[in-house]
Amino acid sequence: MTPPRVVILDNEAVQALSLANHPKHGRVIALAQVVAQRKGRAIPLDVVVPAAVRVEAGWDRRAPAAALVNCLCVRDVPLALASADVAADLVARLHVSVADAHVGATVRAVADRGPVTVITSDPDDMAAVADPVPVTIVTI
Amino acid sequence: MITRIGRLLDAQDERTVGTSMRIPEALRDAAALAVEHLHAAASTTALTADALRGRLEAIVLQAALDDHYHQNQKAQPTLADLAVAAAELDGHPLATRPDVLRRAAAAVVRSHPDANADDVLLWAEAQAAVAG
Repeated sequence: MTPPRVVILDNEAVQALSLANHPKHGRVIALAQVVAQRKGRAIPLDVVVPAAVRVEAGWDRRAPAAALVNCLCVRDVPLALASADVAADLVARLHVSVADAHVGATVRAVADRGPVTVITSDPDDMAAVADPVPVTIVTI
Repeated sequence: MITRIGRLLDAQDERTVGTSMRIPEALRDAAALAVEHLHAAASTTALTADALRGRLEAIVLQAALDDHYHQNQKAQPTLADLAVAAAELDGHPLATRPDVLRRAAAAVVRSHPDANADDVLLWAEAQAAVAG
């Protein structure tokens, strides 16, 4: 069976998905539509958001403003013990934000499940936190 | 209703329930064989739940997007936009050639109005291979 691709959202990807007037909204909606088409054809694919990214992006699932993004089947990745250790190491070594570090920890946690894509406005930081795991980076 | 279904799909609750859902006997037997011999899932129950979740996610996601397009018509991506997005998600080499993908989308949609992003990507890849 085809391994599921895991798509990780960064801060600006979340904001662009949430706000219809965001300048990059069209770009991320097109990506979400491709995900929908593939799920409709039973192609395995998971879209996830690290919890620290959700905090940084201000995505409160209880808020009415989150109505659209709440329905896009984006799963939360909690900042648990193991990922907190990995993220702390990334913050110390690379001086990145907690959210970016949690993206890096998430990349490592899901890497054995299949190919990984990160949707981001900051490809350099994402490449740094993902290294040495090979990831596809979509720059919005 | 879309929001409510989405919330239920997002729920972290691991509680399970027995159901009285009736399915064709042959389908149940086929699922059991797929689990035992093809290792399709850890159990027939897991296979059924995964398939149901996947189908529901597809339905909810498309319904949410359709509703969004209804309210924001400018947000609806073209087939060409989708082909570029599909290539980007996969890290496909043609992701760096959006012009090629946009021409491919224009060509494909003329004969296949219901084509999807991956149809265009496949077509563009084949055209590129033929062109050498």
